[in-house]
Amino acid sequence: MSDVLRVEGLSISFGGLKALDDLSFSVADTEVFGLIGPNGAGKTTVFNCITQFYRPDAGAVWFAPGAERLDRAGHHGSDAIDLVGEPVHRVIRYGLVRTFQNVEIIPELSVLDNVLIGGHVDFKASMLSQMLRLPGARKEEAQYREKAREALSFLSIDHLADQIAGGQPYGVRKRLEMARTLMAEPRLIILDEPAAGLNESETEQLADTIRQIRDRFGCSVLLVEHDMGLVMNVCDRICAISFGKFLALGTPEEIQRDVRVHEAYLGERDDD
Amino acid sequence: MSDAPTTAARLARNPHVGFVVFGALLMLLPVLASSGLLMTSTLMTLGFTLIYAIVAMGLNLLLGYSGLISLGTAGFMGLGAYLAAYVQDDLGLGFWVAVLAALVIPTVIGVLVGVVSLRVRSIYLAIATLTISEILLKTFEQAEWFTHGTAGKQSRYPVLFGVQADRAVVFLIIVVALVLVMMLTHNIVHGQLGRALHAMRASEVAAQAMGVNVLKYKLFAFAVATMYAGLAGALYLFFLKSSYPSTWNLFLSLNVVAMVVVGGLRSIYGTVVGAFVIFAVPELVLKRLPVIGDVSGLPYIFSGVLIIVAIMFFPQGLRGLWDIGRGLLARRRRPAEPVETVRDEVGVR
Repeated sequence: MSDVLRVEGLSISFGGLKALDDLSFSVADTEVFGLIGPNGAGKTTVFNCITQFYRPDAGAVWFAPGAERLDRAGHHGSDAIDLVGEPVHRVIRYGLVRTFQNVEIIPELSVLDNVLIGGHVDFKASMLSQMLRLPGARKEEAQYREKAREALSFLSIDHLADQIAGGQPYGVRKRLEMARTLMAEPRLIILDEPAAGLNESETEQLADTIRQIRDRFGCSVLLVEHDMGLVMNVCDRICAISFGKFLALGTPEEIQRDVRVHEAYLGERDDD
Repeated sequence: MSDAPTTAARLARNPHVGFVVFGALLMLLPVLASSGLLMTSTLMTLGFTLIYAIVAMGLNLLLGYSGLISLGTAGFMGLGAYLAAYVQDDLGLGFWVAVLAALVIPTVIGVLVGVVSLRVRSIYLAIATLTISEILLKTFEQAEWFTHGTAGKQSRYPVLFGVQADRAVVFLIIVVALVLVMMLTHNIVHGQLGRALHAMRASEVAAQAMGVNVLKYKLFAFAVATMYAGLAGALYLFFLKSSYPSTWNLFLSLNVVAMVVVGGLRSIYGTVVGAFVIFAVPELVLKRLPVIGDVSGLPYIFSGVLIIVAIMFFPQGLRGLWDIGRGLLARRRRPAEPVETVRDEVGVR
């Protein structure tokens, strides 16, 4: 099995604080990979370093989006690219999409329009042809509208397509954000605490949805999550970190048995 | 069965048809004026209202859709006016070249300014654009070869296709320009471009994660807004046949902000209504009232109060009031249905 993402020796510090310290792990093809750790362990920082919102002080983020995508982006002949230094808005072109902890949607737009944002980079029509609504631009718009509807129906919220996104309940917004990632035909989806704010049955549904997305799109999923039930249920492998340092890596069972993880993380619960 | 009703229905739904109908109605105004039903001064006021609606449309694209503020509107509008006068009268290149110059040159300068100033946000962007506008204003006062300085630049009605235009013809040109601007704005905001602007306003971080090159789209919005301002400036000149530097001051820029806020952020018709309320209502109504009408600076007080009222109580502006009114009407007509649909949505979730 080849790796879609390989993080090597990632380090970043903010002032005197070492948020990430020589962290390495890799995510395999079609794998659901969990990243866990106590609060402040640096999970979100890892995300931000991968998606280039932060520029790491040291280390590399190797991403293998497939030969075709690399070719299109002008990296001929290589099978992986170091994302470090890429502009944030170019990252999605490689098929690396993320969701946000606090669900970032555009409240004033319809659910469908929100999903269409996910296809932003695929639009070929020039600004001018869009401003004049030339046939090419209109055809393209219709084509992606169809695709967005499919993404919505995959997450079973297509009946809400024309509703205003801002008026939707939290669960729908979360699904909407997932549908949006599908527009990019992802190779790797990064989910930042997808279960936060969901009730138990919704969390169970979420686990199914994550697996369905993986199976249908053949992509990998990198998951940061506090809900241990979800993580243990859905992840193939889990990486535990603490204070920005690598702690353990393994299957859910191995992680549950790991003494270091218990000390750093699960052990805390016993003290409560 | 038959195609006729569906075609008609599709036409009626097409917003572009709406804009054209709106324009056709506006074109009746000069006819009313020439038949004596409308005073010439009223026609002038309405003409300026439409010109301000064009500028305000540009600012709505910035403020409403992209979440960017500009206090430099007046400067770019003035630049358009002086360019139109310079090209038409001093260079003698005629109407179309004048309009082209008033469109292109402010846009280019706007983009250059944008490259520098769009790296800062909110209040700093307001200060940066205000500075540019003040620099332009000083230039208008000093560059006498270009503007005739404070004495004012005098111009004349343009010649179109070999025919000398008059006030009514310039009014029609303004209407055509406004309808085109409304169509263009509609196209921009209903598609990938508009979604990118929306995304940027909602969250720059999320927009970037979705692949939106934030600087590029900020520049785009800024360029279109300056282009509208340049166009409006040229129309202003052709309509008034003169331009004075004192016109292009901060108060004008603030009034344009008021038009957008009062009319309704992200509303095309709302912007036109906003321009009417902020510019035409003081001219046509307030100034004719006894006692109050004599207060100097009345329009400023009026738009200031309206901005505060709109921001505090009607953040959607007049467009929001319109939506509420329509909703009430619909509920009165079919009381059960809206409740039903709401319940449906919750249930499905």
